[in-house]
Amino acid sequence: MGDVVSKHGTPQKDVAIKSDAPKTLFLDKHAQYIEAYGAKKDDYEYCMSEYLRMSGVYWGLTVMDLMGELHRMNREEILAFIKSCQHDCGGFSASIGHDPHLLYTLSAVQILTLYDSLSVVDISKIIEYVKGLQQEDGSFAGDKWGEIDTRFSFCAVATLALLGKLDAVDIDKAIGFVLSCMNFDGGFGCRPGSESHAGQIYCCTGFLAITDQLHKVNADLLGWWLCERQLPSGGLNGRPEKLPDVCYSWWVLASLKIIGRLHWIDREKLHLFILACQDEETGGFADRPGDIVDPFHTLFGIAGLSLLGEEGIKPVNPVFCMPEDVLRRINVQPELVS
Amino acid sequence: MHFAACPPPFAGCPGRASAENHRDDLMYITCCSQGYRDSDPLSEGVKHMAGRGCVRPAHRLTRKSSSPPLSLPPPAAGDMAEWKEEVEVLVQRVVKDITGAFRRNPNIDEIGLIPCPEARYNRSPIVLVDNKLGVESWCVKFLLPYVHNKLLLHRQKKLWLHRDELIDVTCTLLLLNPDFSTAWNVRKELIRSDILNPVKDLHLGKLALTKFPKSPETWIHRRWVLHQLQQGYTTAAARSKDGSCRSSVEHIHEIVQEEMRVCCEAAGRYPSNYNSWSHRIWVVQHLGKLNVKLLVDELSSTKHWVSMHVSDHSGFHYRQFLLRSLQSKTLQDRERSSRATSHSAKEQSPDLPSDEGGNWESLSVDLPCLIEEEMELNQDLIESYPGHETLWCHRRQIFSWIHQMRNEQSPLASPLVASLKSGDTPANGSQSSPAYVGFPTNSMDVDGVLDPSKHGYTQETKRLKRAPVQDSINHDSELRFISGILSSCRNSEQSRFAALYRKWLQTLLGH
Repeated sequence: MGDVVSKHGTPQKDVAIKSDAPKTLFLDKHAQYIEAYGAKKDDYEYCMSEYLRMSGVYWGLTVMDLMGELHRMNREEILAFIKSCQHDCGGFSASIGHDPHLLYTLSAVQILTLYDSLSVVDISKIIEYVKGLQQEDGSFAGDKWGEIDTRFSFCAVATLALLGKLDAVDIDKAIGFVLSCMNFDGGFGCRPGSESHAGQIYCCTGFLAITDQLHKVNADLLGWWLCERQLPSGGLNGRPEKLPDVCYSWWVLASLKIIGRLHWIDREKLHLFILACQDEETGGFADRPGDIVDPFHTLFGIAGLSLLGEEGIKPVNPVFCMPEDVLRRINVQPELVS
Repeated sequence: MHFAACPPPFAGCPGRASAENHRDDLMYITCCSQGYRDSDPLSEGVKHMAGRGCVRPAHRLTRKSSSPPLSLPPPAAGDMAEWKEEVEVLVQRVVKDITGAFRRNPNIDEIGLIPCPEARYNRSPIVLVDNKLGVESWCVKFLLPYVHNKLLLHRQKKLWLHRDELIDVTCTLLLLNPDFSTAWNVRKELIRSDILNPVKDLHLGKLALTKFPKSPETWIHRRWVLHQLQQGYTTAAARSKDGSCRSSVEHIHEIVQEEMRVCCEAAGRYPSNYNSWSHRIWVVQHLGKLNVKLLVDELSSTKHWVSMHVSDHSGFHYRQFLLRSLQSKTLQDRERSSRATSHSAKEQSPDLPSDEGGNWESLSVDLPCLIEEEMELNQDLIESYPGHETLWCHRRQIFSWIHQMRNEQSPLASPLVASLKSGDTPANGSQSSPAYVGFPTNSMDVDGVLDPSKHGYTQETKRLKRAPVQDSINHDSELRFISGILSSCRNSEQSRFAALYRKWLQTLLGH
C-alpha cells in the first residue's frame, strides 16, 4: 500500500523555479496583454468564460488601474455593457442574457466605482436586490435560487459598503453567520462545518473588516495557518498539500494584511515566485511558472506585488482589491488589525 | 469571488485548427445537410446508419470535396450564409445524436472528450461505447458557441424554443460547460413547472462531474434539486398520515446514500476536492440531519479512503466534522434522555423526539474510544507515510480538541493565553516575529453574537464540562511521539513537520 500511495496517491506539492524564470517586472507587457485581451474573439473561449464576464472585466480594469493604465480601456463601451446587464430585480448578470447574481453585482459596482460612474445605474434597486438575498440566519444567498456561501456574505457587504448603504441589511445577524463558519484552526469555510480555505478566509476576514469585527478573529491562530501556506518555492497554496498558485498569493496575503500578520511570511521568496509566473513574451501572469497566462492571475499577481510594496504599482486595498486612491475618494476605508 | 476563474480545463481543447482541418470537419456537415435528401438506393441504409454514427458512402464525400473548400474563420460575404447554415445543420444533428444516445442508453455513467483535432472519418462525433459517452473534440468549437448563443437568445426572448428543445440544448451545453449557471437555472424553472423530473438532473449533474469533478455550479444546482426533492417528500408525508411517511424516510435515506457515492467518486477524480467534500457535509447536515448512525457509518466508510489518500486534507477534515458532530449529537441525546428520566411518566413515551429524517436507529456512541482510534490511525499513517503535511494538520486538530475538552472539564481551567518567545512563528523563514501571541483563546468565544440553539459547536463547547476525555493522550505522550519520529526519521519533510508540531504544542500549552 505504501508504494501505491507514494507513487499514485500523492500529488505533486510544489514547483521548482527555473533559473531563467523572469526576475523583473514587465509592466508594459502586462498592460499590452490586458488591452489586447478584450479584442481577442475566439468563439469557443468566449463562450466558455462568458458566464463570468463581468468579473473578467473587473479583473482587467482593476489591474490596469493599479498599473496607472486605466485610460487605455474603452470606458463608454464598458459602461454601456454594465448598464445592459442590470436586471429588473436590481442585480447584475455576468453578461447580457445571463441571470443576475451577487458575484456579478459586486463586480459591476466595483467597476462603476473605479470609473466614478455609479449614477449610470439604478443604485436603489441594487440595494433592494442585496437586501432581498439576506436569509433569516443572517447568511446571504447568491441569487434567488438560494445557495448559501460566506463568499456571498462578503459580496453583499462589499457591495453595500461601496454604495454607502451598509445599514440596509441586518449586520448583526450577518456577522453571526460568518462567525459560525469559523473553524478550530482559526480559518473559515463556505458554510458552518466546512473546511478552512484561503479564498473563503479572504472573504470572511474582508467581511469582518468591513463590518468592523476583526477583534472576533483569533489573529495569531489564523496567521499561523495562513503562513503555513508558504511553500519552499516561495509561492502560497490555499490549503495543506495543494500546489502554489499566484491567486493564493492574493487571498492569503490580503488576509494576512487584514489581520496584521503580513510580516510573518517570507516576502522576498514570495516576490520571486510571483515574478516567475510572468510570461515575458506575451505579458500577463499564470497560476504557476511556465503555465498559460490569463487576466485573473494577472490581476492577483500585480495586486500581490502591490501588497509587497512593489514600485510602479499603486497601493491596493486588501479588502476590496481595488486601488487605495479610489477608496479614499469615496471615503471607504475599513480599519485593519495593526 | 471566483477562486479558480479559468474556464474548466478541456483536454484536447479545440484551438484554431488549420483551414485544411476545417474542410474535413465540414464533411460531417455536408452529410448532415444532404443525407436525407438523397434518393439513391443506398440512402435507406445510410439513413439508418447515420443515426448510429456510421461511415457515409464514399461517393458523397468525393462529390463534396470537389466543391470549393469551406473554411474557418467563415468566408466573407456571399459564402457566409451557406457556411452558417451548414454549421447549424451540423450542430442540430449533434444535439440530436446526444439526445438519441441518452434515449438508447439511459445508463450512461461517464462522459469524456475524445482528443480528435479533425473529423477524419465522416461519422457522428458522438460515440457511445458501453455506458460511456464520448464527444470528438473537433466538433466542440462548432457545438458550444451554437448551443450557447441559442440559449442566450431564448433567455432574451429573441428566440422561441420548445420545452423539449430547451431540455436538449441545456443538456448539451452543460455537459460541455457545467459552470454556465444560467443553463442550470433554465432547468430549475423547468423542474418548478413540472416539465422536467428533478431526478434527471441529479443524473445529468453526476455525469458532468465525471468530466468536471470540481464544477461549483454543478454542485450548487445539485443542492437545489436535493432540497426540492426533500421538500416534496416531506410535504407528501405530511399530507398522508397513514404511514407513507415511512417511505419518505426511505427515499431520503436512498438519496443520502447516492450522494455519498457521487461525492466519493468526485473526490477520487480530483484531490482535495473542496466542492465535493463540502457538499458531503451539507448532505449529512441537511438531508441526514446529523443522524448518529449516519455519522458513525460515514466515519467507518471513509477510514479506508483517507488511508489511501494521505495528502487529501479535505477527507481528513470531513472526519473532524463527523467526530465533532457526533460529540454534539451525543451530548444532545444525553441531555434529552436525562430530561426524559426526570419526567418518569414520559420515559416510555413514543413522543420522545427522535432523529429527524432518517430511519437509522439511535445509537450509543463511545466517543472517547472513537477519538483514541482516530489518533491511533493518524499515528499509524504518519509512521507509514512520512512527510505528509495533511496528517500532521489532522493530528493538531484532534489533539487541540482533546486538549480543549480536558480544559473545559477541569475546574481549575483558565483561559489559555500564552506568550511566545521572540522567534516563535510558524513561518518558513519569517523576518520578524510577534512579541505576544494570545493563542489559542477559545476560537469559538464568539457566543455573544451567536444563537446558541442554532450552532452546535458553540453549544457543545459549553456542554463539554460533562464530556469524557482521553487521559492516555496528553502533552507528554505527544512529545514522546514526536521524539520517536525525530530520532528514527530520515525524511527531511517528516522531521520538519514533527518539529513544527512540537512548536505548535508548546504554543498551545504556553511552554
